[in-house]
Amino acid sequence: MRIGRWVLTRALGGIFVLWAVATLIFFAMRAIPGDPAEAILGGPGSQASDEAITQVRSEYGLDRPLYEQYLLSLGRLATGDLGTSYALKADVAGLVGELFLSTLILTVLSLLVAWAFALALALWATRGGRIGRMIGSGMEIIAAAVPHFWLASIFIVIFSTALGWLPPISTPGPLGLVLPVLTLAIPLAGFLGQVMRESLTDALESPFVLSARARGESETGVRWRHAIRHAALPAISLSGWAFGSLISGAVVVETVFARPGLGRSLLNAVLIRDVPMVTGVALISALAFVLVTIATDAIDRVADPRLRSA
Amino acid sequence: MRAPAHFAHRSIAAAAGITALTLLLAGCTPAAQQNTEPTAGGTLVYASGDAEPTCLDPHVGGNYPQALIATQYLESLVSKDADGQIIPWLATAWEPAEDGLSWKFQLRDDVTFTDGTPFNAEAVQANVEHLLDPATTSSTGYLALGKVASTDIVDEHTIRFNLSTPDSALLDSLSMPWVAIQSPTALARGMDVNCESPVGTGPFIVTDWKRQDSITLVRNDDYNSPPADAEHDGPAYLDEIVWRFIPDSASRFAALQSGQVDVIDNAQPSDIAAAEGQGITDLDAPRPGASNRIELNSGKAPFDDIRVREAFIRAADVNDGIEALFFGTADRSFSVLSSVETLGLSAEEHFGIDPDAANALLDEAGWTERDGDGYRVKNGQRLSVDFPVSTNQSIPAEQSLFEQIQAAVKQVGFEVRLKPMDLSSWYSTLIGNDYNLVSAPYTKVGPDVLRILYHSDSITPAPSGYFANLAQLNDPEVDALLTEASQVTDADERAALYAEVQELILSGFYALPLYDQQNHFLVGGNVSGLRAMPTVSTPTFYDAWLAR
Repeated sequence: MRIGRWVLTRALGGIFVLWAVATLIFFAMRAIPGDPAEAILGGPGSQASDEAITQVRSEYGLDRPLYEQYLLSLGRLATGDLGTSYALKADVAGLVGELFLSTLILTVLSLLVAWAFALALALWATRGGRIGRMIGSGMEIIAAAVPHFWLASIFIVIFSTALGWLPPISTPGPLGLVLPVLTLAIPLAGFLGQVMRESLTDALESPFVLSARARGESETGVRWRHAIRHAALPAISLSGWAFGSLISGAVVVETVFARPGLGRSLLNAVLIRDVPMVTGVALISALAFVLVTIATDAIDRVADPRLRSA
Repeated sequence: MRAPAHFAHRSIAAAAGITALTLLLAGCTPAAQQNTEPTAGGTLVYASGDAEPTCLDPHVGGNYPQALIATQYLESLVSKDADGQIIPWLATAWEPAEDGLSWKFQLRDDVTFTDGTPFNAEAVQANVEHLLDPATTSSTGYLALGKVASTDIVDEHTIRFNLSTPDSALLDSLSMPWVAIQSPTALARGMDVNCESPVGTGPFIVTDWKRQDSITLVRNDDYNSPPADAEHDGPAYLDEIVWRFIPDSASRFAALQSGQVDVIDNAQPSDIAAAEGQGITDLDAPRPGASNRIELNSGKAPFDDIRVREAFIRAADVNDGIEALFFGTADRSFSVLSSVETLGLSAEEHFGIDPDAANALLDEAGWTERDGDGYRVKNGQRLSVDFPVSTNQSIPAEQSLFEQIQAAVKQVGFEVRLKPMDLSSWYSTLIGNDYNLVSAPYTKVGPDVLRILYHSDSITPAPSGYFANLAQLNDPEVDALLTEASQVTDADERAALYAEVQELILSGFYALPLYDQQNHFLVGGNVSGLRAMPTVSTPTFYDAWLAR
């Protein structure tokens, strides 16, 4: 029963988030300067004829009152119809579906790599004594602070232009993923590492670790069997947020590495005021974010029995 | 919204940083061996920094990214040679009627579209109708055919264009890729299909379009219709062109250096400078039509006063800035027309720098007081001018140049408020007349672009709200000259009229010319035979081949 209620609350919350995103995007896209009719007619500054503009306005319902447009678009979205892209004249659901997989691969890989880095960094920092801790936390702060675009540019100069090891722009196959994944993973690893190191330090100083040591467990055993589980908890909770930040980071990374994906199409769509495309990308990202948050909560409940009664 | 803003800022810092680093790190790439005999075969990768077209049929909308790729698969009735003369292409001969109200075109009788449809007068007529149909939502092509009222099929390979008024720019207009001829059978498939796979008579055929990734073009083995100035006959040398989209200029250049791509467009000045000595060549192909210039909005204060306009231009010292920021890749222009326009008038005498004269002019115009920040004041109003800058159209070097202008004119008391913004916001600002200065490129073949930019008719907004006469030049004398020039058939008379009107525009201080509309392509050492079309300066890969 308790699980049932938990699922229901989460689902309703998720639907509310999607509605809020759709509403915000709808009004934001009309509040910023620029005419959506122009997106349909070949982009900003189009000198389309009077007939063409009139035709497009009525065809796309842009001549109706705003509230009517809003309700219509909401009604369409409720039935799962994301509409037709103004600029690409193609079904948004189809376009977004194609691009989503590409962004999903990028973000999930980045999350895994970030986790691995963060874990390694935290373990190393807590083992290395005072100096190790200082170096470790220094590296975390630097990693967390570097902007994606800067990291991407530096990686391209070093690994592509100078050393020639990796392609500067994305190619099919794993080699083309290395630089985009590292660019997204390193700043995130900095954040996660900070959180993990703190909780790992706390865990290592807690009584249960002391008793484990007293039982004669090896240092490695203590860390891997007991402390890590505690250290990982806050980082797992953070992964939902991390996934969201990775999707927004994908806007920059996909553009710099010329990789097809949601982020890059979002940038293009916003610039030309392609309302259905912006809405589609935002909704899919929001949906992914909601699902990941629910999933991390579920994992939390599994990893931390205390939450199950809450 | 945060990320795009970030992104716009990043390019400046990255451009400088990357250049410095590449100069340090890049080893010596041996110059590719130049074979002189073209060899057939191979796949060439082209990387475009322009936006990915939303439709590959350049009749729809009609922008430069569409022209770039359409040049590879579509052809026009006429072309231009390097001297600016109109030359035959799909039309072999043409002749205006005595009254200038109709033109007869003789068409090639041996050309077939790549879907098997024959090229003939019927096909040309279908294309004109397609362009004029509102459902096509054509903008550039529609304007180019503005004076075409109808067409008559004279015989299978002869067509007559009937005009509403004589049009001295008709041949220039017909040379542009936005009015290129497509298969009528393909057009009949409807806009959605035709946008994906337009069919022409060109040397390559569109076979595949992976959104946001690439477009694949393969050779047309039956090709037989190169323009009269091409280097060879028969099919192209390349098997295939992969047309990629790499929006970031630093990545694009890195991809060229690493050999991942063979040709890039929208090359940044810093990259052009860095490419020297790396076996990469710079194809410098300024776009036709207008030069890049800053228009002074004479439709409202303070630039409604010619003395204030002259003062601004006398104070805005741009020469050193252009030299330094563009690394010597852009020449200063003193004309409102591109240097490729044979009828352009260059008048350096109007653009001498003289701060003393500027100060005297502003005093005379009543801007006598200065406020605490050193800006001039009149009737309690500061001498402030708004300068919206499109970060899509102005490259980082140009944005830096505007900052230098801002600093230079501050010396004589102007406050320039630079407002960087995205393209849609920029157009909205112009439509709202919220600007005093603006730099707006305009690409069009021939001097008729002057009519679009400076005739008072162009102050009246188009249905979309946009108006092209951003200087808001409203002078009956200019109007009369422009109208007459657009109708006379005699070449010398036409040239004299355009010279006269340009002198009026330049001496009225309505615009500060900067340089040609920059259009640089960087070409890898393995590519030979690439040239830009003398029409709208798009590269053509018909004569290009890969060294192997």
